[in-house]
Amino acid sequence: MNRREFMGMAALLPWLGGFPGEVLAVPARPQQRILVLVKLAGGNDGLNTLIPHADPLYYQYRPSIGVPKHRVLNIGENQGLNPYLKALKPWWDKGSMAWVQGVGYPHGTLSHFRSSDIWETAVDASQYTDTGWLGALLPECKPGLHGIAIGENSGPMAGKNCNTIAMQSPQSFLSQISLLEDIQPVATNSVLAHVTNVHHQLYAAGEQLSNKLQRPVTLGIPFSTSKLGRDLEAVAKMILTGVDAAVYMVTLDGFDTHSNQNAVQSNLLHQLAGALDSFAQAMQRGGRWNDVMLMTYSEFGRRVQENHGKGTDHGTAGVQLVMGGKVRGGLYGEPLDLSHLDSDGNPQHTVDFRTVYGTVAQRWLGQPNPWSQFGTLPFV
Amino acid sequence: MGLLAFKDAAHLVSRTGLGAEWDVIKQLEGRSKQEAVEWVLNPKLSTLKSAPPMTPWLKLEPMRLTDMKSRNSAWAISQREGKRLQAWWVEQMLATRTPFLERMTLFWHNHFTSSIQKTLQPSLLYQQNLLLRRHALGSFAELLQAIARDPAMLVYLDGHQNSKDKPNENFARELLELFTIGRGYYREPDVKAATQAFTGWRVDYQTGKFVIRPAEHAGGQHTFLGKTGSFTGDAIIKILLEHPRTAENLTEKFWLAFVSNRPDQVLIRTWAQQLRQSSYDIKGLMRTVLNSDAFWMPANRGTLVKSPVELVIGTVRMLPYPRESTQEMLNLCRLLGQELFDPPNVKGWKGGEHWISTQTLLVRNAFLSKLSRGNLNEKVASGVAIPDVPAEQLVEWLLPVKPLKPLPETPGARRLVRSLLLDPAFQVT
Repeated sequence: MNRREFMGMAALLPWLGGFPGEVLAVPARPQQRILVLVKLAGGNDGLNTLIPHADPLYYQYRPSIGVPKHRVLNIGENQGLNPYLKALKPWWDKGSMAWVQGVGYPHGTLSHFRSSDIWETAVDASQYTDTGWLGALLPECKPGLHGIAIGENSGPMAGKNCNTIAMQSPQSFLSQISLLEDIQPVATNSVLAHVTNVHHQLYAAGEQLSNKLQRPVTLGIPFSTSKLGRDLEAVAKMILTGVDAAVYMVTLDGFDTHSNQNAVQSNLLHQLAGALDSFAQAMQRGGRWNDVMLMTYSEFGRRVQENHGKGTDHGTAGVQLVMGGKVRGGLYGEPLDLSHLDSDGNPQHTVDFRTVYGTVAQRWLGQPNPWSQFGTLPFV
Repeated sequence: MGLLAFKDAAHLVSRTGLGAEWDVIKQLEGRSKQEAVEWVLNPKLSTLKSAPPMTPWLKLEPMRLTDMKSRNSAWAISQREGKRLQAWWVEQMLATRTPFLERMTLFWHNHFTSSIQKTLQPSLLYQQNLLLRRHALGSFAELLQAIARDPAMLVYLDGHQNSKDKPNENFARELLELFTIGRGYYREPDVKAATQAFTGWRVDYQTGKFVIRPAEHAGGQHTFLGKTGSFTGDAIIKILLEHPRTAENLTEKFWLAFVSNRPDQVLIRTWAQQLRQSSYDIKGLMRTVLNSDAFWMPANRGTLVKSPVELVIGTVRMLPYPRESTQEMLNLCRLLGQELFDPPNVKGWKGGEHWISTQTLLVRNAFLSKLSRGNLNEKVASGVAIPDVPAEQLVEWLLPVKPLKPLPETPGARRLVRSLLLDPAFQVT
């Protein structure tokens, strides 16, 4: 039973009235549920992340880059983790980690830019929009600040009504926001109304953020000094300091492994696992693990057949990792069928990525599901 | 309206130039409206900065078809030269004496989008930019025919892969949806028929130039928008140009770029009809737009959001602040959502209110704040200076509507200009 459930029951049980006041100091409203997105930019190779080590085809297609069976961290159902994800194994064992397999979309495009846009705007491969999938969802979810991106990429939160802040680091944000004076929204015309409203929203978000960022909590958990480690440390501090954003986003770049894949990807997965492990520990220690869901995504998976440079070329379906105190651990979706590849050598996706988004919208953020035709998955 | 008052001249310059340049405004102040509009529409011939060195098609393209190493270096070359090309346009826009031509070229770049990232051939994008310049105020009909043959466009929308054995619908679909009649006025069989008509329109592998290969053209009878026949690509374009929606879509885009955020559909239909009857004379349409009451109406002032290019390059052109480096300006435009030669997708930049979000406004404000801390009295390369005029005129010069923030109480041009730049009304025009 978490704190919220406890408080819910407490209201029904008159004998609890005898408890000291602070035990029942109920927060004014339930804690904001938080989504943390980790973009694995460049196209992460799903098959060497969550490894189908019992499938002989996997080793046939990847004679030199296939991860030997004895090194794979077996997690059952013939799947195993890349050994460089070792730091995450305890979270799998605790049941707070889910993997969604075979995630993609019909007519997968092999362009980084276009596929990234598709993933971030949740459209069909033949359609275009400027509003990110969260950019449309979040303004319905809550007022005020919606999302914070560390780095430049905040694509999923793009949208003219989505109050997103992109910052290189909390320090650079503090210096930028100090230059902004407040303005009251005007109604001179609808364009100026929009500009002044956004200006005012930005000022309000800036006020809140700078107050909190100037006095961050100490986490008591060491983070690695990799860029991702530092970025997730900043996110952890913002969450535990009580910054009121629903979504945070960080990016780990470098997954475009056309050559010498194993050296590059191992290093990246090692950074990823270390940073996620520290982040999860920090959330647990700070009492927010049950309010946080962390999810990775990448613009595409990679080709099944390795290339001549011990790497892989652009592919289609990939895997997504989901973690959180409320996450129902396990494997979701069907593994890719390596015996049926299309003319480009890519397998058919088994889960549409909008199934995952719909799950986040409906089962995590408690919103109507804009992608209901794709269904949801019970990972949360 | 008889003769242009200062603030009307400022309106015309701000909407058609890059920055409301003081000297230009003063040149137009006191002229008749028609005369001022003609001055804008008939710019003196101006020089174009010479192109940066770019690897030719024939060198770059074969590298992509060989081993990984060559492929990687082809990619690296395209990235490096793509950045140079972006810098070239920024510097052209900073230096030009005919900013209206740059605005129009940018308008067409946003209509007939192509990207260095998809094509990976900066030299083709440069050629396309020259093409857009040549036709910027000419005939839309000729521009459309030329763009359908443009190698960058053929690569960007996969037209160069469209053959009778392997039809590729990408170009035909966008031709109908975005370049001419728009969604709702065609059906899937029309896309297929147009695709067939353009089969064999290729890029010659040896030269990187447009070529028609009759052997790859699918003959036979097709039905396109109710007409049946054996069509060439040009026949399809002709049918599209005869369709009223083509001119209406285009006119609405002009409205949103030059008049206001609320298109007047009745007026648009009238202007569109004139456009079609004039064989798509773009300058004629612009003449109608700029002479219209809607363009000058006070209620329509301050209803267009400055694009990142207008904000970054325009502000630097009009005020004597020490300028940022070209790289920094490119970086700012990117952070603000407008990368030249690399629009976000085939629909181009959505513009208008979409330029403004909490994220971009933070960067816009930080840029203007940093810029306006510079010393206005410092002599800058551009030679512009702050005019020595009363405060009210500085306000009319820099803002299209009354300031939304109170003006500083302490007098001084520098302080006032900074305050006006940081006023939300400076974001609009």
